[in-house]
This record gives sequence, C-alpha cells and structure tokens, in this order.
Amino acid sequence: MNGNTGKSKLSGRFSIFSRSAAALLAALLIGGVIITLGGYSFVDVYAAIFKGSLGSSRGIVLSLATATPIMFTGLGFAIGIKVGIVNTGLEGQLYMGALVSALVGAYIPMPAGVHVVVSMLAGAVAGGLAGTLMGWFRVQFGAPEVITGIMMNSIITLFTSYLSNDPLKPPNVGSAQTIQIKETAELIKLVPKSQLTTAFIVAIVMCILVYWMQRKTVWGYKMTAVGLNPRASMVAGISSSRMYLLALALSGAMAGLAGSGLALGIFKRFIESVSNGLGFQGIPVSALAGHNPLGVIVSALLFGVLKAGATMVNQSTSIPYEFVDVVQALVVVFVAAPAIITEPVRFIYRKIADRGTASGSAAGAK
Amino acid sequence: MELIKMPQITKQYPGTTALDKVDFRLEEGEIVSLLGENGAGKTTLMKILYGMEMPDEGEIYYKGKRVNLTNPNDAIAMGICMVHQHFMLVPAFTVVENVIAGIEPRKKSVFVDQKAARRRVAELIEKYNFNINPFARVESLSVGEQQRVEILKALYRDARILILDEPSAVLTPYEVDELFVTLKNLREQGTSIVIITHKLRETMDVADRVMVLRNGRLIRDDVVPADTNALELSEMMVGRRLINMDSRQPSQKIGPVKFSVKNLVVKDSRGVEKIKNISFDIREGEILGFAGIEGNGQTQLLEAVTGLITPESMELTLNGERLSGKAREFIDSGVGHVPEDRSTMGLISNMSIKSNLILGYHDYPDICKNKLMRWKDIKGYAEHCRDFYQVKAPDVEAPVRSLSGGNQQKVIMARVLNRPQEILVVAHPTRGLDVGAIEYIHQQIFNFRDQGKAVLLISAELDEVVQMSDRLMVLYEGEIVVECDPEKYSKIQLGLLMTGQSPDAVKEARL
Amino acid sequence: MTYDMVISIITSTLRLSVPVMMATVGCSFSTQGGVTAFGCEGMMAAGAIFATIGAYFSGNKWVGILAGVAAAMLISCIHGVLHIKYRVNATLSGMSVNLLGTAMATLLLKLVWQEEGFSPPTEAFTKLAANPAFQWLTKIPVAGYILGEQSVYFFFCIIMIVISWMFMYKTAYGLRLRMVGENPVAANTVGINTVRYKYFGVLVCGFMAGLGGTFLSLVGMNRYTIDMTAGRGYVAMVINNLGASNPIGSALASIFFGFFDCLQFVFQGVNTPAQLLMMMPYVFTLLICLANTKRSRGPAGMGKFYDD
Repeated sequence: MNGNTGKSKLSGRFSIFSRSAAALLAALLIGGVIITLGGYSFVDVYAAIFKGSLGSSRGIVLSLATATPIMFTGLGFAIGIKVGIVNTGLEGQLYMGALVSALVGAYIPMPAGVHVVVSMLAGAVAGGLAGTLMGWFRVQFGAPEVITGIMMNSIITLFTSYLSNDPLKPPNVGSAQTIQIKETAELIKLVPKSQLTTAFIVAIVMCILVYWMQRKTVWGYKMTAVGLNPRASMVAGISSSRMYLLALALSGAMAGLAGSGLALGIFKRFIESVSNGLGFQGIPVSALAGHNPLGVIVSALLFGVLKAGATMVNQSTSIPYEFVDVVQALVVVFVAAPAIITEPVRFIYRKIADRGTASGSAAGAK
Repeated sequence: MELIKMPQITKQYPGTTALDKVDFRLEEGEIVSLLGENGAGKTTLMKILYGMEMPDEGEIYYKGKRVNLTNPNDAIAMGICMVHQHFMLVPAFTVVENVIAGIEPRKKSVFVDQKAARRRVAELIEKYNFNINPFARVESLSVGEQQRVEILKALYRDARILILDEPSAVLTPYEVDELFVTLKNLREQGTSIVIITHKLRETMDVADRVMVLRNGRLIRDDVVPADTNALELSEMMVGRRLINMDSRQPSQKIGPVKFSVKNLVVKDSRGVEKIKNISFDIREGEILGFAGIEGNGQTQLLEAVTGLITPESMELTLNGERLSGKAREFIDSGVGHVPEDRSTMGLISNMSIKSNLILGYHDYPDICKNKLMRWKDIKGYAEHCRDFYQVKAPDVEAPVRSLSGGNQQKVIMARVLNRPQEILVVAHPTRGLDVGAIEYIHQQIFNFRDQGKAVLLISAELDEVVQMSDRLMVLYEGEIVVECDPEKYSKIQLGLLMTGQSPDAVKEARL
Repeated sequence: MTYDMVISIITSTLRLSVPVMMATVGCSFSTQGGVTAFGCEGMMAAGAIFATIGAYFSGNKWVGILAGVAAAMLISCIHGVLHIKYRVNATLSGMSVNLLGTAMATLLLKLVWQEEGFSPPTEAFTKLAANPAFQWLTKIPVAGYILGEQSVYFFFCIIMIVISWMFMYKTAYGLRLRMVGENPVAANTVGINTVRYKYFGVLVCGFMAGLGGTFLSLVGMNRYTIDMTAGRGYVAMVINNLGASNPIGSALASIFFGFFDCLQFVFQGVNTPAQLLMMMPYVFTLLICLANTKRSRGPAGMGKFYDD
C-alpha cells in the first residue's frame, strides 16, 4: 500500500477546505447569474452585500448576530452527522428551546446572573430531550429518524403555536407570543441596541467545546467509531444505541440553545414565528464546514455575512433578500457532489483541447 | 450430445491464477458435480459460463458453435441460468411475482397478464413437483422452498442448463433430499445441471459425473460416483500432499481447565439451530482448534463466545467464573477477540492506526483518564506496539487502511496481545496474508499460549488448524464430529470428516 | 353540527386535500423505487411559482401548468442526479432541493414583479359549478354540489390516483419499479435497469409534486403568495409514510390530513384550538410509525443500489 505519513491528515483537511471553497464560489457564481437574469448587476449586488455587512460597524454586528442561531443549528447537524444520523428535527428542537427558555425566563424568578444562565440551560435541556426522544424512537422502535424528525417538527411547532396563541398569550397583545421574560433573564447585549448578544459567545464556545469533545474525550472517540463503522464498534464493545442517543441529545441541545438565544436575546419572549427555517439552515452551514465543529464557526460567519448583507441591502434597495437563501441551497448541492462542478468543467476543457489537437494534427498532416 | 465445451479456460486475478487451462464439458441431460475446496476455481469457471466473467484464455462452444457470452443476459438467452448461493428474491413479493419480474407476460403490452403468469408458474410447479403455493409471499417460505423459487425463475426462462452454486449450503438435510429429488426430476425432463459444491454427499447421491478442480487445475472430469468412494474423491480434492508437521509447536505444559463452554445452542433469525448443543473445554497452555468448512456454525460459535450475540443457551466459565453479557463484558474479562473479517469487524478503516490499536480498550485507565483520551500516551503506546509487533507503518497517525493486509492483521493482534488477556479467540488469522506475516502471527499465538493462557482457534485453512492446535475439533453443521489429537488423522481423512463422514467410516480409510 | 356544516366540511376537505394528495402520490413513486421522497417541498414551491410565471406571461393557465410542472421536474433532477449518480444521502440531496425550491420561489416573486407579498393575479381554475359546461352537476343533490365546488384538478387528481395505482400494481413496469425499491441487486440480475427506474420514480415525484404546486397558485387563489407551500411538501412525505407508499393508501391518508386541516377553519372563532386539531394527524402518524416500523421504513431496498 502507499504507507503514507502524517501528510494524509493534512491533505485530507485541505481537500475538504478546497471542496468547500469551490462549492461556495460556484454557488456565489450561479447566484450571481440568477440575479443578473433578474435585471441586476452581478458585481453591484455582491459589492452592496459585502459593503452592507462588512462596511459598517452596524453591518458587522448584524452579521455576527445573524450567524449566531445558524452556528448553533449547524453545530447540531454536524454532531448528528458524525454518528451517521441526519437530524431533520432541528427546527422542532429549536422551538422547544425557545419556548422553555422563555417560560423559565418569564415565570420563575431568580436572581440576576443566575436567571439567564438557568433559562438558557433549560432551553438546551428542552431541545436535548426532543432530540433524545427522536433517538429513542430509532433505538427502541427502529423508526427512521429522518421521518420522525419531520413529524416532530410539525407537532412541536403546532403545539407551541397553540400555546402562544391561547393559554400562554398575554392579554391585549396582537400576535401569538408568550409573556415577556423578566429582565434578569435577558441575554446581555454585546453591542447596545443591536441583536448581538452573549449568545454569540456561547455559540463559539459551544463549537470549540464540541470540537474538543470529539477529539479529546472518550465519547468523541466512541461516536466517531460508530459513525465510521457500527459493526466494528459493536465488536469492540461500543453500544451504537447509546451513541445515537447521546448524539441526538447534544444535537437537540444545540438547537435548543439557538432557540434560547433568540427568545432571551432578541424577542424577549417566545413568539410563534421565532424561526423561519433556521433549523434547516443548519444543514448548509454544516455542509460547507465539512461537518467540522470549528469549520461551523467560519461557515456560520460566512453565511451570517451574506444574510446580513442581503438584509441591509434589502432595506435600501429592491434587491431581494432571498437570493442569499438560493446561494445557501446551492452550496449544499455543490458541496455534496463536487463532481457537478468539475465534470462539466472537465467536459468543456476536453472539448476545447480536442478541437485544439484536431486543428493541430490537420495542420501537420502526415 | 455435447452441449457445452469450454477448452483451456484460464483466468488470472492480481496475485493469483484462479483457473489454469481447465477443460469443461457438459452433456445434455446429465447432472455434473463440480467438486473442489474453497478457492479451487469452481465458481469462477461457472461465472465465465454464465457471462459474469470473461476468460483470459479459452473459448465457449455451445452445441459445437463458438459463442461469446459477455453478460448474464447473453447466457440466459442461450438457456443457461445460474441459481446463486445468496438468493436474488424479493421477500415481500409472491412466488409468481418473483418468478416473472423482468419477463412478465403482457396484456395489451403494458399490463401484466396475471392469469397467464399464474397458469404458467402453476404448470411448472406441477410439472416438477415443487410443491409450493404460487400466491405465497416468499418471506413466508422455508429456505428450501425459496431455493425452488430461484430454480423456478430459471425454468420459467426455459433454462436448458442450470448452474447451482453451493445449493445445499443453506439447507437442512431434509431439504437437501428434497432438492435431490427435484434435480433428478429436472434431469428426466431434459435439463442439464451443474452443481458447484465441496460436499461429497451431494456428489455421491445425485451426480452422474464428477469433475474435480484443485487450486485452479482440472484433476479429473470423468469420475462416475458409482465407481468411486468418498475417500478417493477427497483425495482428488485435497491432494496427497501431507501437512507439514514440522511447524507444529505442541504445548509443553498444559494445565487445568481455564475456559469451559457447556450446552451451547445458537439459533438463527428463523429459529433454525446453527449450533446444536456443543460443549468443550480449553486448558491453560492449550490451543483448541476448530476445523471445518465455512458455514458450518463457526460464525455463530465465535459470536457466542465473544458476546456478540446472546445464544439460546450457553454456560460459559472463564477461570472458574461464569461469564455472560455483551461484547463489553467479554472484553473486560480478558477475552481477546481477533475477528473473522478484519476489515469490517476488526478495524475502522478511516481511523488512524493509533486509534485502531486502542479499539475496545479505549476507556481503560492507561488510555483514558476522567473521560479524557490521553493522546500523548496513546501515541507512545501505539508506537511501542508497532515496534514490538513489527507493523510496517512509519506513522501511527496514518489511517489504518493504508496498511497492507498483513500489517492490518498485526495491528489487531497487537491490540489484543499487548493487554493482559485470559483467552485469545482468533478466527481465520492469516487469511490473505503472505508467508512472512503468516509465520509471524502463528508465532505470536504460540507465545501467548506458552504463558499459560488458552487459545480458541477457528480457521477454514485446514493446514493452519492442524499445525497450530494442541487438540482438534471438527465442526460440521453445528455439531462436533470428532475431537482428537491433530496428528491422528491424515489430511484426506480430515477432509472427509469436515464433509460429515463419521469417524468410523473414516477410520477404515487410513492414509 | 348542522347538515350544511357537514356538507361544507366534506367539500372543503376534498378541496384542500388536492395539492397534498397529488404530491404524496408522486412521493410514492419515488419511495417505491427506493429513493427517499425528500425534496417535495422544493418541487411544490417550484411548481407554484413557475405556474404563476407561465400563466402571467402567456395569459393562459394551461401554459402555467406546463411551466410549473417542467420547473418541478427540473428541480427533481437535481435530487435524482445527486443521489443516484453521486450516491449522496437522499435526505441531504432532497433537503438541498427543498431549500433551493423554496428560496427560488420567493426570489422569483420579488425579481419578476418586485412584489413582497403576492404576485399579480393570473388566469385561474375555478370551481366546476361556475363553468357553464358543468351546470348539470348542480342538478344532482348533495354529491353534485360537493363535486361542483371542486376544480378540474380534483378530477384530474382522482384519475391520476387510479392510474398510479394501476401502474404500480397492475403493469409490468410497476412491478419492476417495486422490485428496484425492494431489492435492486436482485432486480439487476434479471436485467432490470435500476438506475433508469430510480430516475423515473424521482421524475414522477417531481411531476406530481409540481402539479400539486400549480394547484396552489392557479386554483382559487389565482396568484402566487409568499411561502405558499407552507410545509405541504413535508406533509406529503409524512402522508406517504402513513399510506405505506401505496397511491390509494396515500390518497386516503391525505384526505385524513385534509379533514383536520379544514376543521381548523370550521372552528375558527370557536374556542377549539386549531393547532391542536392539526397536531392530531401527525401524532397519529407518529404512533403508527412506531407501532409498525417495518412498514414505515418503506421498501426493503430503500437507499440501496444495484452494486451494493
């Protein structure tokens, strides 16, 4: 065999990086094509987006704030993938976290400092329980988590919607929500009058912690083993069931934190539309990061910049925000199958090369 | 009339010659048994006839005319059908649906003509006495019945030549008898049949003619069962070569019983007994070897004594203490397991050599403290293992799949042997390895035993089991046929025992 | 509960079920071929927006249908190529199609018309009773009224369900498709081109889901509204699971879901919480899923290929 050395790890990492970079570039390119077809100038649009998100302190702050919830859900998805589980239930787990943290923040008085921490934790636990339930369905009943995740999303969003529309809704309020949380439960804003709260720090810390957990702890070792080869893991005495449950609990907890961050930091309550697909947006974030927790930090920031820029741009011009969503979706497509980019390119290249040699040999006929 | 002639067939694979100028012929209306050990080349030869493989040299003649078979559809068009060892059926479909899928009778060219399909399938069932309900779902049928559905598929396609690959491997003795009746029936109706097998019983009971392959070469193709006996056939299959007894290292000191298994019964998912109540002991300083052809219960035995399955019944004692539970408990009690299949069960290919060396022992105090992996120590541990066990790997961080087969096996051995174990349970330890690696691994096993430990060795390689064991057991269809001193029987006799002959019958054939 | 209410519920249930019913029948083709039917949401969204675009620029609602269906099938191709050719996990590739489809839909709404909430109106399909050719329906008591309130889509949907069922269980090609989903290795040994059938399943899913999407924007509403699909694609997937990938079973299951969907309108203003009602069918499906996981896992060869 090719008894290779430590180079293998580095080249492996590099190839993930180049794959992600290529995917992002291709996605931006195709997105640019679409926006051009829509009558805008490719260059102008991207310039405006990056200027919006990076050109002012307000923009940068918004970028970081936007990155926060998807950093959590991206991390959650990455944790699941490592064990071989596609967690489709992140959205529901996020809602659980948002609701429970808001309720703890609103109804259970606690001293300052403690309250917000406990509320966040409660949100994490709620999300984690929802994830564990999914795991239990798989381990105990063999129910495919892909389907149960979707079902639980609907059940949870419907149920929380009911709660925020009826029993838990404060009087004299228009939209569906719960009562406002106490001040002691609010997340501290890193920048006043912005959406950037300490949740951002928590998200980064979580990514680092999870990365550390995966590499340095025995649980990380076991989860990696199960994800790579469940059969050999079983022979080695590692219980895949337990690892699935653990992974889904952690994954759900991350989504729960995403919800908590939104409820305690931005909305100061649970609202019916606390998330519009942020759970699912964890998938492109994780995919671009090669499902690596540290990579999720960078990936989430990148998407945060794009989304914040699009928001800013949308406020001043008519450039629609959604095209960033399109770019996000394209990223998943291109990261999943880089061949989609490389094969057409290679095909065109070969055609050009063939035509070159054809004319060449015609010129130098035998 | 000669139906098929395949002269001088040669097929090479990287590193090995599967077939070396083999002549094959098939007459109309005969049952031929293609006999040989595992790896003799029988399946490869038939895959060539069925169009699944292409020969490097040699041709195929059908009724005297040269033909080119490049894929199974060509073969099927000529009436050649193969019934694979692993059935190609859809359990949720009915018998009729399974038989007609791909070649359905049509009504208005799009709809399935259910009536015609049922009629034809029922006709065939009737004609050949298959005795199955055409509307039954295949998942509700017994294995023997499912096999008949596979044969039905071939007959429905007007197969004139039927190739059966190890047909009795999955059947109970009763089902085997039923199969023989079916085959004879088919022959009466003019079908020609080739049975790929290593079982002498099938050959003797049902074949008109026997063709023996050994190590890719044709030994004889004109043997008539009536004119020969099991001993002669075994000799042809296995060769007169004697086992090299020089490399034996019998134990110098055998102590009291260390590992004891009583009343082991293992049933498979369908409730069929794969291990039919066996008991055995292994002593300190002893290697107990299980010889036998794969598929006779070895896997189930291994799974039971390493905690991978919970057997129907088992009383296992190690060093005087009862042992039960899952793999975790067995590993912690000092059962060192070197699994049957190193790449799917023994190693995690994409993990580093270092990580693979601690697999199974990852939460032991020297590897893991307070749930934190001690990677620096682990690296040192891995490098020590690598050096001590002569694994050719410059970097223990490299993924284990970058190693050769021999080195991969050494990693597994190192993992297990570098820890205090009470008993080594090792299966097919040198499969696919070169001579140097084989010698090294055998020596490691001897060294382990000489520390006063026990070894349970299972191998399909008869030479290996005989050379290594202090005491030998032959496993056949889940039962221990004989327990003996490895030097007692000749290789041919052992080959006979491995195919189910009784010790008494074999004793007469002393060689 | 008055008689009128009952009639009204039945009528609304049928009407509301149509888009999901179509999508779920499409899902059954995908799953019977062994490909997880993720991606429905994106296909429906693509169908909805392109139907409006097509109808708007041509002035013809039939062109709208064509455009919507074509777009949905194109998007389903992405799912197909990613999963079948590049062996990407079907959930991931389907999810990417979902994200792409829904994002494209909203983006196009804004790009094409610079609108934020909904598109300008287009020609639309109305209820049959409004069509002079179908006045005879109003003469039939009860049933005539219920059917008259439906659009032509409803009848097309019924026809599609019947055709799908017949295809699946009565034709040779349906048998082969199901074999590909159950055991692609075995299907390959009898000469069935598993790749072709898998693509077929995915494309039919795109066709039907797209058709369901066109219903949303061309029937009744006669415009594209933002977030029009509202998760219906996911519902279709779940319903298909409940209906065990059988077109008729799935159709019945979607009526089951549609019933609860319509109940929330019935009880609007009354004290019964709409969301709890909508939760019922999901909880029910979840319980069924847990009780009979062999069935909920779908065909035995889900996610497998001929060379496994």
